[in-house]
Amino acid sequence: MRLLTKTTLNLLSISLFIYLFGVIAFYYSLRIQVDSNINREMIKRKTSLTRQMEEAHSSANQTTSRSEMVLIKPVPKAQTSDRFKDTLIYDREEQRYQLFRQMDFAETVNSQAYEIQIFKSLEETDVLIVRIITTMTVLVILLIVTLLVVNRYSSRLVWSVFYDTIGKINRYDLNTHQDFMLLDSDVREFADLNRVLKIMTERIKDDYLNLKEYTENASHEIQTPLAIINSKLELLLQSGDMNEKQYKALADAYEASIRLSKYNSTLILLARIENKQFPESVKVSPEAIFNDLLENLDDLILDKKIEVVKHYMPDVTIQMNPFLAEMLIVNLVKNAVRHNVKGGKLIVGVEKNCLQVSNTGPELPADENLLFRRFFKSSSSPESLGLGLSIVQKICSLYGFEVSYKFEEGLHRLRVDFKNEG
Amino acid sequence: MGFIWVLISDDVKILIIEDERSLSDAIVEYLDGEGHLCEVVYTFQDSVEKIELYQYDCMVVDINLPDGSGLDLIRLMKKKSIQGGIIIVSARNSLDNRIEGLEIGADHYLTKPFHLAELNAHLKSIHRRINFQGSNELILNEIKLIPEEHRAFVQDQELVLTKKEYELLLFFISNKNKIITKAGLAEHLWGDHMDSADSYDFIYTHIKNLRRELLKKGCNDYIRTIYGLGYKFDVT
Repeated sequence: MRLLTKTTLNLLSISLFIYLFGVIAFYYSLRIQVDSNINREMIKRKTSLTRQMEEAHSSANQTTSRSEMVLIKPVPKAQTSDRFKDTLIYDREEQRYQLFRQMDFAETVNSQAYEIQIFKSLEETDVLIVRIITTMTVLVILLIVTLLVVNRYSSRLVWSVFYDTIGKINRYDLNTHQDFMLLDSDVREFADLNRVLKIMTERIKDDYLNLKEYTENASHEIQTPLAIINSKLELLLQSGDMNEKQYKALADAYEASIRLSKYNSTLILLARIENKQFPESVKVSPEAIFNDLLENLDDLILDKKIEVVKHYMPDVTIQMNPFLAEMLIVNLVKNAVRHNVKGGKLIVGVEKNCLQVSNTGPELPADENLLFRRFFKSSSSPESLGLGLSIVQKICSLYGFEVSYKFEEGLHRLRVDFKNEG
Repeated sequence: MGFIWVLISDDVKILIIEDERSLSDAIVEYLDGEGHLCEVVYTFQDSVEKIELYQYDCMVVDINLPDGSGLDLIRLMKKKSIQGGIIIVSARNSLDNRIEGLEIGADHYLTKPFHLAELNAHLKSIHRRINFQGSNELILNEIKLIPEEHRAFVQDQELVLTKKEYELLLFFISNKNKIITKAGLAEHLWGDHMDSADSYDFIYTHIKNLRRELLKKGCNDYIRTIYGLGYKFDVT
């Protein structure tokens, strides 16, 4: 829920709640006031009635009007206290009950005790109260609505900087090397927020770039000692006066050192792709790359007795860096050859907007999402670097291509969809 | 040492420009006794002096020197029309560097770490190209290779070899009496795309075919398998 909606809803619910209680309280306070007014009137009436009765020497003075009734009844003994209450009286003309205020009192006139009841209609005051409440309600609702609208509008103005910042943080990508530009705000909190964010992103960016530079430099620096290790081992191999065990140890060390340097150069490649160090872009033909590569890997394919099937749509080109295009296809195909079974199948396909490489093989035991992770290895080839598909994914994300994996009918299929066909 | 080269003019004179002493030592040691005469310099300045004073058949140049760039050194050589083959060895496997290096006149670009056998094979091929304009014959006992035409003979009988088998034989002869690892072989013949993750079984197939063809034509069996580690073309 947006902050604005949240505050609006809070405001609305709280003001409605308060208003509801307010109306009820208002209604009762009005009622009490009206009742006390009527009571006072009735007490006046009582005085005038008593005087009238004393002057008229009559006990049968009963008056009736639409708004007032007086009932006088002689009783043996008069009670002194006045009593007030509300009562309903049936109105024959209108055929409904009407609300009246009733006052009972006793009076002794000319030594005769009377019980007198005065009824006063509350109909008019009731109507008045309802009108007042209605007017109030309308006013208050208008007030609330205006308040909400104004609040929403002004909040939107005030929070616009905040939403801008959120949007920019959302879109911010350390790898794009873009500066983090935030709007200025005259609201101190937001200005503070933006200032802190700017400092923070600058620091993160610096750290990130430093780390990246460090990684790249370290990788390059590692190559030279590796070259020394490799060449010394190769020399040692030539010395000739070793037994099989020593040769074996040497061979293992040599093998491991070569693998290490492969790792290293692959990691450098990944870093370079991330750093967008391949700006050159031309139209490349995936078909030509596939053909060259399959020819190059011929021995490996023959060795595994893999049947190669090619489906090429003619004249398909991709606009991208030629080296990366080669790396993309090399890694897809090598992956498919390496994880193939003896006598298996390798299907490469070039369509208008996609490349496909499929190979036979047992179903993946692990989560297919792990496939593109660095150093993910299947048990079938523990020697592999586990970086091939990471390269594929990095190249794809660099160009906005979509790479997907599917396993069906015993075939692992990797598919690269590219949108910017050449 | 320059005097000695004048006396033994048949040897290949190589200047190794590499500031990493252990590495340049290893290169020298490997190339020694291969008919190469090596001299090592460690700085840009020293190498400028050397190339101006002496004539080398080939130069192995590291790009990152403590006091300059190997690429600048190559440009300088080309400007002064200094003859000789150039092999760049660099820790940077960047396509741009590679292209730039080859464009300004280097013959090969090797990325560290490299196989010494690979460097040796390149030096030999440069030497052949420069000294004999490529039209030479490479003779080793009863084997004769005509590199320009990619043909091989045993006692004047032509060998029927595939391209890969021919390359294999040439690589063996270039590195005769040395143990060549499978990894080195695979990289030389198939390039970067092959690595230890793939079994090297396919190499064995080619070796087997080459050996069969050599024996059929009456050649001695020079190819030795070294404990599953690699091979050796043993002509001692």
